[in-house]
Amino acid sequence: MATATYPLGGALAPTKRPALSEYLRWSIDHKIIGVQYMVTSLIFFIIAGTMAMLIRWELLTPTIDLMANGSSYNTLFTLHGTMMIFTWIVPMFAGFGNYLIPLMLGAKDMAFPWLNAFAFWLIPPAGLLLLAGYFVGPAEAGWTSYPPLSTIYSPDGQTLWALSIHLLGLSSILGGINFIVTIKNMRPPGMGWFQMPLFAWATLATSIIVVLATPFLAGALTLLILDRVAGTTFFNPVAGGDVLLWQNVFWFYSHPAVYIMVLPGFGILSEILSVHSRKPIFGYRMVALSSMAIAIVGFTVWAHHMFTSLQPELRIPFMITSFIIAVPTGIKIFSWIGTIFGGKIRLNSAMLFALGFLSLFVIGGISGVMLGAIPVDIHMHDTYFVVSHFHFVLYGGSVFAIYGGIYHWFPKITGRMLNERLGKIHFVLTYFGFLFTFFPMHILGMQGMPRRVAEYDPQFQNLNILVGLSAFVLGISTFVIIYNMLVSVVRGKVAGANPWRALTLEWQTSSPPPAYNFVGDPIPFEDPYGYGTDASKAYLDAMEARFGASYNPEKPKALPPTTSTPALEPSAGD
Amino acid sequence: MQRDLLELGLTKAEEQALQNRRTGIFIFQVSWILTFVCLAIVNWQMRFSSNWMPNPDDRLGVIIASIATGVLGASALLIRRSVMVVNNHHLSRFLRLWLMVIGLGVVFVGLIGYEWVIVPTGTQYAQVFRLMTGFHIFHAVCIGIYLGLVYVNGRKRVYNANDYLWAVEAGAKLWYFVLVAWLLFYVVIYWI
Repeated sequence: MATATYPLGGALAPTKRPALSEYLRWSIDHKIIGVQYMVTSLIFFIIAGTMAMLIRWELLTPTIDLMANGSSYNTLFTLHGTMMIFTWIVPMFAGFGNYLIPLMLGAKDMAFPWLNAFAFWLIPPAGLLLLAGYFVGPAEAGWTSYPPLSTIYSPDGQTLWALSIHLLGLSSILGGINFIVTIKNMRPPGMGWFQMPLFAWATLATSIIVVLATPFLAGALTLLILDRVAGTTFFNPVAGGDVLLWQNVFWFYSHPAVYIMVLPGFGILSEILSVHSRKPIFGYRMVALSSMAIAIVGFTVWAHHMFTSLQPELRIPFMITSFIIAVPTGIKIFSWIGTIFGGKIRLNSAMLFALGFLSLFVIGGISGVMLGAIPVDIHMHDTYFVVSHFHFVLYGGSVFAIYGGIYHWFPKITGRMLNERLGKIHFVLTYFGFLFTFFPMHILGMQGMPRRVAEYDPQFQNLNILVGLSAFVLGISTFVIIYNMLVSVVRGKVAGANPWRALTLEWQTSSPPPAYNFVGDPIPFEDPYGYGTDASKAYLDAMEARFGASYNPEKPKALPPTTSTPALEPSAGD
Repeated sequence: MQRDLLELGLTKAEEQALQNRRTGIFIFQVSWILTFVCLAIVNWQMRFSSNWMPNPDDRLGVIIASIATGVLGASALLIRRSVMVVNNHHLSRFLRLWLMVIGLGVVFVGLIGYEWVIVPTGTQYAQVFRLMTGFHIFHAVCIGIYLGLVYVNGRKRVYNANDYLWAVEAGAKLWYFVLVAWLLFYVVIYWI
């Protein structure tokens, strides 16, 4: 049982935030790299989000009026989709993983710090390479880049697109290897697999998918590049190639990639819901193992993206696997509802976004099951129903989890609290902006509006105006959190080590954590979600005695700035 | 259990670092071999979707490839031996064996490179063959260069013992990777 006599690890030296210049250069500190990932991906998010605004602006009317021609529109949705996936969601979760995994495991850094920095520094040039396409004729074959659109009908920017994705894939693989090794080898004594925070489980499952699936993308991209620059004909059926080859290999990576983009969000959600409900995770083992189940089953569903081009006899097996993968996801949903049920819920910004995730992701999951059914898929294929589905999963799911994660861990990363009032305004604008942007797309899709078109039948205009105006609200909402972060990092209330009174190890050090995170080896509490017990209260009180009082969101009272720099003697365990 | 020389006298942090390196290189191998699996699947799917496979008489024979496979297999056995030797402090003997591995690697690349050149051009068969063997040769050459660096550094004795032993172990593991990847391609290209 945990008691206040535990030899607690922690910071001895006064901690202060690293200088801005440290974030702009090569560093092997996982915390710096984590922030580098997050800020870089936020910049790409704004760029790709601006493209989304232009797309919606164009679609306010049924005719082309904003764009010069259809190709400009094709370029917009191609780069919007590619950047949102590869330079926003994936690296943003890598940023969370980089910052949090060593802290959660009580480690001083990632297993391979140099490799970690290298993986990050592949991302900015890769993102710029994507945008550089504008100088040579940008990619316009969609983020899926099916041949022959991506081979004989696309300008040179498509080659830059493929090179860029190659770099981003390499970055992902290196990051994935690093996460797996860190989680496997660097857990502290007393932290078995089933004492690990669920975010670590989610990151592990994600990394397994990354290292097993991304090499297939690398293979496919190599063929695409050779077809484009070396005159090969792998995808040209006239010369003995196979146009469906790309689809098979691409989706063998890209469907598991959906889980790369959402599993870390599941992990974040588990942390937030438990901490802010003050309750243990309901069915911890099932949540942990369901992440692994999703990782495994995720490799068996790729061909449901190809129902319209697949041999009929192969459709039903893939339909069945597509339904099966809903089971571990459903386990998580029930577990999260069980976790918050009867809890002492703090309805702060992090919790609001977590609850927003829960409600929106369920809608995305249900529409996913619908699309997994062959007849529905054939009817809805390439319509706005599909656009709606994946935005409910990737925005309603992943982006809401990212926002929730930012509100939850910003105090740890910066030592300052985010402004709660702005957080709630951000949530309301985002939630309703999102709902009215993407829910009507279900109706548009069912009525037959195709995706990836700049011109459409005038009968769809009213709903498109509603979608467009809501999208602008959603776009504006992003600047609320950016403003909140910029102001709070300077003027926010001092957070202290553990303002949420959380039990996982990242909170058992000062905010922001010092270099190498802990002095001595921190002792994890026996159950990372064991809230509501005397033992956990004693553990948290001992931590508070060691690190000083933290900001209490329930009884707001400003702490002096010195609170984050505890002048404590090392304990016996240091 | 007998410990490698590499594992003796390490601090806790160094032991952790060694364990991380070993796990890391294993995961890298598992991950990257899948790129080769991907290309093998590409070969397989393209054969089934379009009828470009030449008659057996018009394909490259298995003799040169089989000799190359034997050479590569022998080099893998030698590299295993050389790791054992260096763990017994026989640096000069290790260097001789290591050089033989590099030499056999050069022979392997030369033989497959010859096949790469003589395959009849202008066919889908040649295209897929060149893609697969070229991809493999690229890896063999890169890892071969790494083995060369290990050799040069061994001659100059520029590494401290632990770093050097790890470099040897990593080089051997990467060379096994070259062998496994080739065996996969050898079966797919020449036998199926």
